[in-house]
Amino acid sequence: MSKHTTAIFCEAHPEPPFWRVQFETLNLPRPGCFLLADFGGPLREVLFPAGLSAGGFSVLVPPGHPVQRLLPGETVDLLGPFGRGFQTEQVERLLLVAEAHLLPPLLPLLEAAPMVTLVLAAPTRALLPPARRFPPSVELHLITQDGSVGYAGTLETCHGADSPLLEAVQWADRICASCDSAFYPKLARIVRQQRLNPPANFAQALIQIAMPCGVGACEVCRVQTVNGERRACTDGPVFDVLDFGL
Amino acid sequence: MIELAPNHKFGLPIATPVMPAAGAFGYGDEYHDLVDYRCLGALVTHPISLHPRRAAHPPRIILRGETLLIHTGHPNPGLNAILRQFRELWARLGLPVILHVLAANPAEMVEVVDKLAGETAIHGIELGLDEHTSVEKALALLRSIRLNSDFPVIVRLPFSGVATLAQPLAEAGVDALTLTSPPRGVLPLPEASGDGSPPLMRGRLYGPALFPLLLHQLHTWIPRLPVPVIACGGISSTADARACLALGASAVQLDAVVWRHPDLLATIAKELAYDAGNTAL
Repeated sequence: MSKHTTAIFCEAHPEPPFWRVQFETLNLPRPGCFLLADFGGPLREVLFPAGLSAGGFSVLVPPGHPVQRLLPGETVDLLGPFGRGFQTEQVERLLLVAEAHLLPPLLPLLEAAPMVTLVLAAPTRALLPPARRFPPSVELHLITQDGSVGYAGTLETCHGADSPLLEAVQWADRICASCDSAFYPKLARIVRQQRLNPPANFAQALIQIAMPCGVGACEVCRVQTVNGERRACTDGPVFDVLDFGL
Repeated sequence: MIELAPNHKFGLPIATPVMPAAGAFGYGDEYHDLVDYRCLGALVTHPISLHPRRAAHPPRIILRGETLLIHTGHPNPGLNAILRQFRELWARLGLPVILHVLAANPAEMVEVVDKLAGETAIHGIELGLDEHTSVEKALALLRSIRLNSDFPVIVRLPFSGVATLAQPLAEAGVDALTLTSPPRGVLPLPEASGDGSPPLMRGRLYGPALFPLLLHQLHTWIPRLPVPVIACGGISSTADARACLALGASAVQLDAVVWRHPDLLATIAKELAYDAGNTAL
């Protein structure tokens, strides 16, 4: 019965383009793992921690999310933590790769290694979080589709000689990504091109899709990998990126 | 004990009238951290086919109000792999295991039951029929199980096929009927743009809105059927389960609500047991 727990809603404040919501709980998920929260809808909501502390965790949710209807002190019914999270033990140079709207699950990793580089992509500058949000020790490389700041292009097209992504992949000894799953076969190709014989889990990719049950019962969250179909909720949601491309 | 197969030579007794529906609960131990299995009447497995089946292309789920539209394609690794992986677990579970089987035709069904010969951890078969199953095909599938195995047979009827299939199957000797599998529905994809006809997703409907439809089916058909009926569709509380049992259902199956409230299975089982004067659960 250890996977059924509650959390106490503490506060919510805007952190554009999201709201940061703080919960107190003893059952903390590790980065990349998730909880299923009951906010009254027909399905539980998937919550990835965006911040972890001794007594609780925070999540970043879009405006209008049902969590904003909670009052401080209210309890939330949780299932979890579920899934296989990021493995970042004994890493010196950690590369994080994200699209801005999928960044929150990577935020707990910003200080997970002595040296951290974040490659962050968005359609335009206005959709990027301000640089002051990140710890000063994090090296930030921005990619915008309209070229309003940083490298002009997208993660998909970011493979020129001056690409910040290629250089960062060469530098890193671990990569954690949170992007659209359509990008992962491309990332797998880049990893294979830039690294000779990368070890298992050198590059890890988080899949964010609907996971109604969290335990592998509903079969809604199946993802196609080179090793066949896998369930995101129990086999992931963090996979070796090489599972997505030979 | 509740007998789901009173006319079968071995019977299919269950301790409580509450069980998960096929497709809601996996194959066995997925919910071991969240559900008290001692409260379940039986384990009804995820739909299993003779050969492996792949998942449907995403998206596989759409929410519309309280209603879910789901199309998974019933992915499963095939009967051989399932038996290899789960037969020992099923033997340890301590409750009846009902295998939910999908079969395209009677010949495939014969292959399935041949492979199940000697599987002592399996106590019954629930045959899943789709909307397009004719009476002749349904009877042929039932006959292919009957002639080739000793398992009690439950047939889960398609929502739109109760009127045509229920009585012929009951007369042909099915042990019990599950009313019903989730009805089919179609919804436009949420991200569809306004130009042209929107892309549609087809699937099965789940949610409390189905409960009145279930009660209508039970009210119409239980008085006419000489076999036990298991109620399935939109049940989301003890009051819902009581209403089904009051209409004559022998047991209830909970479907998608289990994902939100896994403990509801045990809660309903305990409250129904309390109604019956049994406080041991």
